Amino acid sequence: MTDTLARPDLLLLSMILAPWVGAVLAGLLPRYARNGAAALSWVVALVGLVSAILLYPNITDGPVRHEIRWMPSLGIDFVLRLDGLSWLFSVLVLGIGALVVLYARYYMSPKDPVPRFFAYLLAFMGAMQGVVMAGNLVQLAIFWELTSLFSFLLIGYWYNNQLARDGARMALTVTAAGGLCLLIGVLLLGHIAGSYDLDVVLGAGDQIKRSPLYLPMLVFVLLGAFTKSAQFPFHFWLPRAMAAPTPVSAYLHSATMVKAGIFLMMRLWPVLAGTEEWYAIVGTAGILTLLIGAYAAIFQHDLKGLLAYSTISHLGLITLLLGLGTPLGFVAALFHTLNHATFKASLFMAAGIIDHETGTRDLRRLSGLRKAMPITATLAIVAAAAMAGVPLLNGFLSKEMFLAEAVSNPRDYDRNLLLPVLATLASTFAVLYSLRFIHQTFFGPPAQDLPSTPHEPPHWMRFPIELLVLICVVVGIIPGLTIGPFLATGVQSVLGEATPYYSLAVWHGFNLPLLMSLVALAGGTVLYVLFRRPINTNPHGGPRLFRPFDGVRIFDGVMNGLTAASERGASVFGTNRLQPQLRNIILVMLLAAVLAALPFWSGLGANGFTLTPPDPGFVVLWLLGIGCALIAAWQAKYHRLAAVVMLGGAGLASCISFVWLSAPDLATTQLLVEVVTTVLLLLGLRWLPKRQDAIHIPPSEQRRAKARRVSDLLVAIAFGAFTAAIAFRVMTMPAAPDGIGRFFLEHAYEQGGGRNVVNVLLVDFRALDTLGEISVLGLVGLTVFALLLRFRPGADSLSAPEQQRVQRASDERHETRQPGDTLQDTMLVPRVVMQWLFPVIVLFAVHLFLRGHDEPGGGFAAGIAMSIAFILQYMASGTRWVEDRLRIRPLKWVALGLGIATLTGMGSWIFGYPFLTSWFRYAELPVLGRVPLPSAILFDIGVFGLVVGSTVLVLIALAHQSLRKPRDRAPAHPPAPPLEEVV
Amino acid sequence: MTGWSAHLAVMPVALPMLAAAFLLLFNEDRRRLKAIVTIATVAALVVVSALLLQSVSAGSAVPAWVYVPGNWPTPFAITLVVDRLSAMMLVLSSILSLGTLLFSLARWAWAGPRFLAFFLLLVAGVNGALLTGDLFNLFVFFEVMLAASYGLLLHGSGEKRVRMGLAYVAVNLTASMLFLIGVSLVYGATGTLNMADLARRLSDLPPENQTLFAVASAVLGTAFLVKASMWPLGFWLPRTYAAASAPAAAVFAILSKVGVYVVLRLSLLLFGTDAGAFAGFGADWLFVGGILTVLFGTAGAMAARNLPYAAGCCVMISSGTVLAALGFGTDAALGGALFYMAGSILAGGALFLLAEILEREAPEAALAADARVFADEYEDPFGSTTVEENGPVIPAAIALASAGFLICGLLLAGIPPFAGFIGKLTIFLGALPREGSLSGAAWTLIAVLTLSSFGVLMTLLRFGVAYLWTPGDGTKLPVVRIVEFSGIATLLLACILLTLWSEKGLAYADGAVSWLRDPGAYVRAVMEHQPWHGDASPGNAPQGDTP
Repeated sequence: MTDTLARPDLLLLSMILAPWVGAVLAGLLPRYARNGAAALSWVVALVGLVSAILLYPNITDGPVRHEIRWMPSLGIDFVLRLDGLSWLFSVLVLGIGALVVLYARYYMSPKDPVPRFFAYLLAFMGAMQGVVMAGNLVQLAIFWELTSLFSFLLIGYWYNNQLARDGARMALTVTAAGGLCLLIGVLLLGHIAGSYDLDVVLGAGDQIKRSPLYLPMLVFVLLGAFTKSAQFPFHFWLPRAMAAPTPVSAYLHSATMVKAGIFLMMRLWPVLAGTEEWYAIVGTAGILTLLIGAYAAIFQHDLKGLLAYSTISHLGLITLLLGLGTPLGFVAALFHTLNHATFKASLFMAAGIIDHETGTRDLRRLSGLRKAMPITATLAIVAAAAMAGVPLLNGFLSKEMFLAEAVSNPRDYDRNLLLPVLATLASTFAVLYSLRFIHQTFFGPPAQDLPSTPHEPPHWMRFPIELLVLICVVVGIIPGLTIGPFLATGVQSVLGEATPYYSLAVWHGFNLPLLMSLVALAGGTVLYVLFRRPINTNPHGGPRLFRPFDGVRIFDGVMNGLTAASERGASVFGTNRLQPQLRNIILVMLLAAVLAALPFWSGLGANGFTLTPPDPGFVVLWLLGIGCALIAAWQAKYHRLAAVVMLGGAGLASCISFVWLSAPDLATTQLLVEVVTTVLLLLGLRWLPKRQDAIHIPPSEQRRAKARRVSDLLVAIAFGAFTAAIAFRVMTMPAAPDGIGRFFLEHAYEQGGGRNVVNVLLVDFRALDTLGEISVLGLVGLTVFALLLRFRPGADSLSAPEQQRVQRASDERHETRQPGDTLQDTMLVPRVVMQWLFPVIVLFAVHLFLRGHDEPGGGFAAGIAMSIAFILQYMASGTRWVEDRLRIRPLKWVALGLGIATLTGMGSWIFGYPFLTSWFRYAELPVLGRVPLPSAILFDIGVFGLVVGSTVLVLIALAHQSLRKPRDRAPAHPPAPPLEEVV
Repeated sequence: MTGWSAHLAVMPVALPMLAAAFLLLFNEDRRRLKAIVTIATVAALVVVSALLLQSVSAGSAVPAWVYVPGNWPTPFAITLVVDRLSAMMLVLSSILSLGTLLFSLARWAWAGPRFLAFFLLLVAGVNGALLTGDLFNLFVFFEVMLAASYGLLLHGSGEKRVRMGLAYVAVNLTASMLFLIGVSLVYGATGTLNMADLARRLSDLPPENQTLFAVASAVLGTAFLVKASMWPLGFWLPRTYAAASAPAAAVFAILSKVGVYVVLRLSLLLFGTDAGAFAGFGADWLFVGGILTVLFGTAGAMAARNLPYAAGCCVMISSGTVLAALGFGTDAALGGALFYMAGSILAGGALFLLAEILEREAPEAALAADARVFADEYEDPFGSTTVEENGPVIPAAIALASAGFLICGLLLAGIPPFAGFIGKLTIFLGALPREGSLSGAAWTLIAVLTLSSFGVLMTLLRFGVAYLWTPGDGTKLPVVRIVEFSGIATLLLACILLTLWSEKGLAYADGAVSWLRDPGAYVRAVMEHQPWHGDASPGNAPQGDTP
């Protein structure tokens, strides 16, 4: 050969990048640019092919590598590696790709969005190149999945067709699952070999075969290979993939993609093959696939179906050869891979032409086409003869090698008779279906009822077939001069020094394999003559024997089973109901706490308990509080009003406790909060559905309902006991001497400028917490407001409350009274008091605010107090009266409050201090005298504004509910202003 | 650090709060103003978080820095800590917010009152929770985040949302209650709330405090794992997210990850190898829980009847994956899990948005149940003509949606070539021991993650074929506006960039893990922080004259 190239890396790159670049460009073409896309694709394939041919001299003596660093930290790089084997596969991918592109230009309808088709096709080509040129196992697995993906997109190209959708889904399901297995397999392989680099792995054969992980690794790798190469029992997706346009079937599903599994087994043959496990798994899968595929192919009525099963069978043959584990088997496998690609691609394209010209692929309808399309017929007959293994064609040569391997019985097993017999049987089947294909399609009287009248296709559509058939013939006659050296390079690259002597001669003399071939040829012909009629009239379009083993049915069953199991699993191990979820949370927490405490159990009682003697007053207070809480829980289901009131009682108990324990600040705030929340809750109660006195439980459910209540009670008791216990333990423990609390007590006045530590904590030490908490308060107000904007009370609470109805009825009975007068009268005294309280409470709020930094009070308490002033007005005089006189605009309060607080925080940036750093100074003010003026007071104003705004927002949203009138009733009053405008 | 850049750490919290306050000043009809302010804020957050990431990434001298609002000395002050983990999460939160926000501006932002304010405060809450180094402050920001999420979940109204909203509020209030109990227990047991201080004190706690602290950790852990939606605490997630409006669900994709983040943060900080009796606390349970979460999420996805539910299940799966990797314990697996999490957050968010576009074709739900009852009722989200059509409609909607769906699907399923695959691959590599055979845990991790890849692929394949390939009754294509697509494109672009920069991303994640494995460095960074002496009065304490 000629001398090697100086820069092989550029050629290597162009072999893989050209298809990807082409795919992107094709995707950008206008929707119906058929010629442009085809020309682009053709150029791309040719560029790749020429690069490959130019590189050939470089790879005859060993692999060419080009590394691109990708993820060196994981030991995974992007390595392009071309040796004899990958060169052969590359030429297959690029060469047949070029021919298929040419063919597809004529096959695809101009009405299809063809650029998309070519984009997928080129992307597939790139992915396939990535697989065969991968120098890194992980890289191989990545491109492997990409071939599955683009195969899916290509099968589903005509996605309006149900068969295309189903076929595509099934193909992706099977091959992608295989790809996931392959990933595990190659990770294990790399783990055993210590590297994911192919050259390192190929050099670690002994280590790999000795490893305890060999078998799991092998199984995972083979799952990948078998699913991809349609080996039994994963073969069923391939016939379904025939819903793809025929160029795709010719390219992906006969010549290239389905050979990826074969390629993988060849690539890893030196390190995986030769063991008992390999022989058992690969050999068995191969022979089963060979026989089942060949047998099923006989019965197909669909032209492409026949070819698909024939492909499965030939893939099985190659797998079997690899499974034998002998070097000669390997040679035969590689040779047959190339031969099969040439004759099967041409047959698929011929089938596509027949489909295109006649409008049908049904073998029962086709007949006598040799008259209408003599050239295509001749080409297809030659290709089919190669498929059958007729001498002087390439299929014959590799089949002879296969039969020779079957006879040689290298392992000396007692099944020595079985393998040759089965091999002959499979060859007989191949002859039978090839004969049926030829005879049924091209011979006999011309068919009359075809959807369209057949004639020869355009010349360039036929050209790819002509070329491939020419190769079949030339290789079949002078193999040594044509394919010989390339095959030798390929074999050498894998087997190295173990390369056996083999001869590619056409004539090896009279021997057993030749006899077997002749038996197969004769037997196949005889069987066809005998069984032609029953096969053609078989209504099932498939062998009856296989019904129970129909892969499609099993697949559907498995998928349905998976879905059903998932549904079951999701409902058994999960729940959509709220109560069990809450129970889960509590139970998990209790369990986790117990488990966590177990190792530390002994420490629980250490250092004893610091108990203080009980004060009778305090005990009584707490008994009252506990009583209120229990009644609240008891009544929550049937009597909400009582529950809310009792809850208020419990809250009051804690307020008094704060006072008792000298925390006036907490007590003030808690008291105000209790008041406001209780009032708002009471206002909201009006809109809840009516009380249900009893819930009817059917007798059959009563036991369960009772059991559930008991268990709920137990959960509640357990949780309460747990909380009480840990609270007790914390309170009776000696205080941590170095806790951070002391710091605040010591520094509040000196550096925070306030005597009220709680307030200084809130607005200074932990102002960020306060900023967050007021945001929460604002958000809650906004949520209530948003929710009530579209609130729809239940039908039963839509009508006016009973009290209102009675009063109105009474007003209407008396002629002198207006509706609403009774209410006015009843509310007279409270109203006057409440209206006059307004300025008092406002002043109180200001007072609370100003003293906050030193005494109990502060922005929060002041805000709550201020909102009480507003609440009283709404309660006393009604929404309309108040809003005619006072527009509170609570949303603006919220906005200003949050804004002021945040801006105060940012203000310290100007002085070069972090967010929310405070600064204070005392000032002499007229009247008020010396007052502290910390910057935190600004922050506190923000807090005040937000608290007022948010509370009043909730109040107004609730208040407006009573103004709303159902649409279908005429409003008694002028309609209330929409809530959105009031806030 | 000087000048404005010194305050970068607090901006992810302060900026959205200020912007939210500003938005609340105006009525809802000022749409343009509100949209511009919100976009500007969130875009600023993307820049800020990118700068923060830059400041702690490999090239920089400091792996973490501390910012103390209020300028009080640590550990008494609330600290904000920017380190590799929090910076990474901030970037994700900002990008997710930006994409979601753009999407929402076309229609959803105006489908109910004050959406944008809720949105910004949610972002502020998430960012605060990611930044804070104080346990109680964490509680506060959790509450901000949750309160905003209540509002966002109810956004768009409708019975389904209100119903699910109620359950969501109930579950989260329960978890918050546990959180609060846990925080007070921690304070009772250790006398501190600062995480760094806590880690420092843990090794020499008296025995009875140890018991209490163990209980506190269990209680807190339960609360966080409810948020992270670990099995059997996370059943609320898929249905809630499926009920939420698309942009709300998309931005929720990060909420559960905040739970995961806190578990990561605290368990690595407090229960590292130096933690004495607490070393490795709960790791086995996290592993088991993570694995079960992945399995449950996969089953849920396979059984899903609608795409948003399936997307919610994917969110669960990704939480489970990270928890399992954390429990598994090797650095490499955890680094891979962080990388995987980044991709899955972005893709999960994008999937919710895509699902909304794809379901637009579906016939509108019967409107009868949605008829107005009150005369002054807020308008039906899209029932009226007041919702203007924002921006031109994308012509090749289906093609773009298909491409987006493909990327999301491959990423979430962890199928090559996108970031999800690289993350899972790294987890697998991390599960393989350096030498010898695999442990049972390693086999389980690899098998379960592979199974879930397959399950997610099957699920998304089913929905993809049903939505994108199955011809409908008419030729009606979904109407997608450019601004909506730009939102989805933002998220997908981020996914693709993550894939392209996977080596850098993985290196960053590994750096984050090795930083997290060294709690001592975190403790030192916080405890040795000195209060600033401002520019205005150099050398003086910030406090003025004393009385």
